[in-house]
Amino acid sequence: MNRVRKKRLKDNLVGWAFVLPSFLILLVFTLIPIVMSVYYSFTEYNVLEPAKWVGLSNYIRLFSDRVVVSSMKNTFFYTLLTVPLQTILSLVIGALIAERFQNTFGRACKGAMFVPVISSSVLVGTIWTMLFATDNGIINGILGAVGIDKINWLGQRSTALLCVCVVAVWKNVGYFLVIYFAGLMNVPQSYYEAAEVDGATRLQRFFHITLPCIKPITYLVVTLGIIWSFQVFDLVYSMTSGGPGNATSTLVLTIYQKGFREYRMGYASAIAIVLFLFILLVNRIQRMFFREKE
Amino acid sequence: MTTTISATRKEKTWTKRAGTLVLGAILAFLAVAAFFPFVYMLLLSFTESESLRFSLSDVSLNFVNYSRVFKLTNFLNAMKNSMIVAVGGCFLNCLFCSMAAYSLEKKRFFGSGFLFFLYLATQAVPGQVTLIPVFTTMTKLHMMNTYPALILPIINGFGVFLMKQFMSSVPDELLESAKMDGAGEIRLFVNMVVPLIKPVLVSLTVFTFISTWNDFLWPLVICTDDDMQTLTVALSLLKGKFTTNYGLVMAGSVLTFLFPFTLYLFLQKQFVEGIALSGIKG
Repeated sequence: MNRVRKKRLKDNLVGWAFVLPSFLILLVFTLIPIVMSVYYSFTEYNVLEPAKWVGLSNYIRLFSDRVVVSSMKNTFFYTLLTVPLQTILSLVIGALIAERFQNTFGRACKGAMFVPVISSSVLVGTIWTMLFATDNGIINGILGAVGIDKINWLGQRSTALLCVCVVAVWKNVGYFLVIYFAGLMNVPQSYYEAAEVDGATRLQRFFHITLPCIKPITYLVVTLGIIWSFQVFDLVYSMTSGGPGNATSTLVLTIYQKGFREYRMGYASAIAIVLFLFILLVNRIQRMFFREKE
Repeated sequence: MTTTISATRKEKTWTKRAGTLVLGAILAFLAVAAFFPFVYMLLLSFTESESLRFSLSDVSLNFVNYSRVFKLTNFLNAMKNSMIVAVGGCFLNCLFCSMAAYSLEKKRFFGSGFLFFLYLATQAVPGQVTLIPVFTTMTKLHMMNTYPALILPIINGFGVFLMKQFMSSVPDELLESAKMDGAGEIRLFVNMVVPLIKPVLVSLTVFTFISTWNDFLWPLVICTDDDMQTLTVALSLLKGKFTTNYGLVMAGSVLTFLFPFTLYLFLQKQFVEGIALSGIKG
């Protein structure tokens, strides 16, 4: 009896000893900060003076703050444009490689499209700023060759956010392509053979076999895409810094500006909490949508 | 009858072949579109002109822009910082996460179920929510502009989650028999468990390395000293300072990209697997 108890005590001690380092870090850098963040969001806090409780006023204020509201709109626009585009593109390219080009050529293309994935958003933003440059930029150069006037891509309201979206899609497609490709490889070949015997066309096969089989992958791709989109910061910061005006400012950019430029930590925390709630809400809706279609 | 069948079949292979050619061309175009900006970056970094319009005659294999980057900015130091942070972060993340995963999967102890739930649940919280509190905590601990401030937040629950799945493939009998032979807990972990989970360690390392090397927001806010900048921050400042000196900015860009890209060339399979595997993390 005593030995059993002793062993159990030892198991507990050893078990906790192995978990302790990562748990301490989780506690200090994630768990406690989550609670602090909620608390800060109800206060006015500029780091130098102690936080002052202000109740819900941060939350009330942010929904009538022009900067915050436009950054919300921009974030939604960005999400609505990039997520469908990158999902469809990566699926189509993945299916194309899986069906026709499972060879060196296909692998090389996949490898090339993965390069933007491993490069930092700051780097990507820097390169694309030059490609989009009004004078001497390559994009305007190509358009000029077919007689289109120079466009100030990143400097005008109507195109700036669109350009950021295009670059985001360009950067993300390689990533989702790899995920889709792996999923497509797992669809049993026998399904296709059976469908072919039944005389199904290629499109029918795609919509009735491929799509249902890779539904979990699509769910993952869309979920990740939405979460990333809501958190976009680096790319916008390095391409436009939110400008012109607030035309490309996103929620995280606003959190950064309010928190670390204006030192309104309480207000910035409230925006961060709202961002989190948006992500949870969208995920809920998306889950309902995916379940319903089953 | 037979001739018409063979004729249509022939036609079919022809259309199929033509289709493959067209589709191959489209795919090749997309691959070039994905890769071209990096070639452009490299070429511009070797041109001296301050113009974006490069002609191949302007490209010369001299390293003027590169030596200027090192002379005018803190790039060399930033490279060192990025390296220290990425390597330190990878090492600690792998060590701590595999330890926790081993314990959670192989040991029964009080609270292990709830602990694992915590590791998982915190993954759903975006980093921006904890950004401000972690920042204020660091300033209170006087850890701004230090390596620990850059490294410690890298360690997260995701690695534990990833490792735990893999840990179940480590046979219990093996651990039991090693214990019978009198191996201590630490020895057991280092000599038996770690070699068996090598593949997932490689994946986690690759993923952690890339996300740390490319991280921007956290180093931007926590390191205000020039001496503590990481490469992404240094590049962003370079771009802001020398906006129209395109060759110079591109040389800086190449420098930030050189190391991850070289790694990618050599470890392509591990990269794709590691990053795809880690898809659950944002």
